[in-house]
Amino acid sequence: MPKALIIDDEQQMRRLLRMVLESRGYAVCEAADGQLGLQEAAFHRPDVVLLDLGLPGMSGIDVLKRLREWSDVPVLILSVRDQETVKVEALEAGADDYVTKPFGTAELLARLDVIQRRRFTRQSAEITAGPLTLNLLHHEATLNDTPLKLTPTEFALLKTLAEHAGRIVTQNQIVRQVWAGQSSDPSEGLRVHINHLRKKLGESGPRIVNEPGIGYRLEEL
Amino acid sequence: MNTEDTFKPKPAREPVPTHVVGQFSWGLTIIFVLASACWVLLPYTGYLFSALVFLMVIVLAGTRWNRGPVLAMAVVSALVWNFIFIPPQFTLHIEKPQDIIMFAIFFVVALSMGHLITRLREREAALERHHREREELLAQKHRAELLAESERLHRTLLDSISHELKTPIAIIRTALDGLGQGNPYAAEIETANRRLQRIVENFLEMTRVESEALKPHLDWCEIGDVLHATTTPLHRELAEHPSIITGIESLPLLMLDSRLLAQALGNVLHNATLYAPAGTPVEIAVSLTNNTLEFRVHDHGPGLALGIEEHLFDKFYRAPDSPAGGTGLGLAIARGLMRAMKGDIEAHNHPEGGAEFMLRLPVKTRTT
Repeated sequence: MPKALIIDDEQQMRRLLRMVLESRGYAVCEAADGQLGLQEAAFHRPDVVLLDLGLPGMSGIDVLKRLREWSDVPVLILSVRDQETVKVEALEAGADDYVTKPFGTAELLARLDVIQRRRFTRQSAEITAGPLTLNLLHHEATLNDTPLKLTPTEFALLKTLAEHAGRIVTQNQIVRQVWAGQSSDPSEGLRVHINHLRKKLGESGPRIVNEPGIGYRLEEL
Repeated sequence: MNTEDTFKPKPAREPVPTHVVGQFSWGLTIIFVLASACWVLLPYTGYLFSALVFLMVIVLAGTRWNRGPVLAMAVVSALVWNFIFIPPQFTLHIEKPQDIIMFAIFFVVALSMGHLITRLREREAALERHHREREELLAQKHRAELLAESERLHRTLLDSISHELKTPIAIIRTALDGLGQGNPYAAEIETANRRLQRIVENFLEMTRVESEALKPHLDWCEIGDVLHATTTPLHRELAEHPSIITGIESLPLLMLDSRLLAQALGNVLHNATLYAPAGTPVEIAVSLTNNTLEFRVHDHGPGLALGIEEHLFDKFYRAPDSPAGGTGLGLAIARGLMRAMKGDIEAHNHPEGGAEFMLRLPVKTRTT
């Protein structure tokens, strides 16, 4: 039984989330503030954490940073704040994804599934995302068993997105992985390469969706 | 152009200002007047008296005047003293050795007094200027700090209000999802909750637009991504109004704030779906001319009533035939957002019927 930890100061929200998660087979523990949340995380060792950003006292971002010092548990941010800077800050501090309140339950559960799945995919030399397969050993990509002709940059870009399939990856995270500080204006280059990739993936492939001001998400079909 | 003339740098060497010329002439006049007075008094006072008088005027002039005139007075008075008062009179020749020494001392003292006193005054003035500049800087810093503080307070307040208003809406939404589909009462609550959410978001966005806390974050953007971000949140409304997008195939990468643009465009699009009858398409034509990006959003609704064009973008303005349930903020926000990005928005009736909204935005471009 997977364990979920809810860190949120709204009692009603915690109660509702508990009901939703328990009906999905999670064992749930909760905390009303950041300090308690960190203690619960250390004590219960949850498989996934749902973290509200607007906590009293210690802010959600600080909780996340402290948590990341010793744990790589998947963290889903729940927040009413929809400014992109806040989301980028949380993602770059180690959050795996976010949902903005008010959110649909289906969306929440889908995101929770995705961020937990990546635990088990890093072992092999192959990454699959729907009809897409990347062979890291031979640097080959196939879509519906048809080989894709990709440049090394495009391959690296697709690899970064496919590793996080279904999850948002910030622009900075992509640039750090793919370019590692080589390009003078990586933002422009990134868009050009995303464009090329989209054309090569075509209609039948997974879609690369842009979230304004934040980054990209490889949508699973 | 005119403006270029006004911004010309000042020439490096300025001509001597008129007040300095005035000081020169006043200085010389005073020396000659005093020399005449001392000449009259010479039988009673002796020729040393005039030297002291000259020194005194030089010192006094030094406390007021520029260095040039004061030093000129020193030189002239030394020569006048020598010429008129030191025996033999009316020659520059000096007979007695002690008079030569006295003349030399007078010369040196007059010059150095003039020099020292004017320098002292200049230093004082510089110090005072420095002090004023410091005060001015401190005041500026203080003002900036106050402004930043009030902006921070404003943002904290907005965040907190936003949290308080959106949390119950989020709770209702999650609880409704738990109730499941099929209950007609739940469906009504859900519709009302959506409406409430839109109103709250509009109010918060209007506050943000008006507080000028809105700073565009420019980045290279694909116009397809902007339109995707525009239409995705409106998928419910657009289900009844197929959107037809033209003109985006050939567009290069554009430097703009895609979130703000998507939001402005989304509000206009949402407005179109409110007024146009279900089933009619909304056409979005995108074009780029001379670094101006233009969106024309054309709906097949009844069009704009006569004379409402100028009020359309006012806060809380609602057209007389508006359907219930709006706040009259959507278009005001759209205009606020466009203007924050140095663009603008206007509306008129399309010749083929329906309303047409035009959003224009200056952009930097780079071909892919």
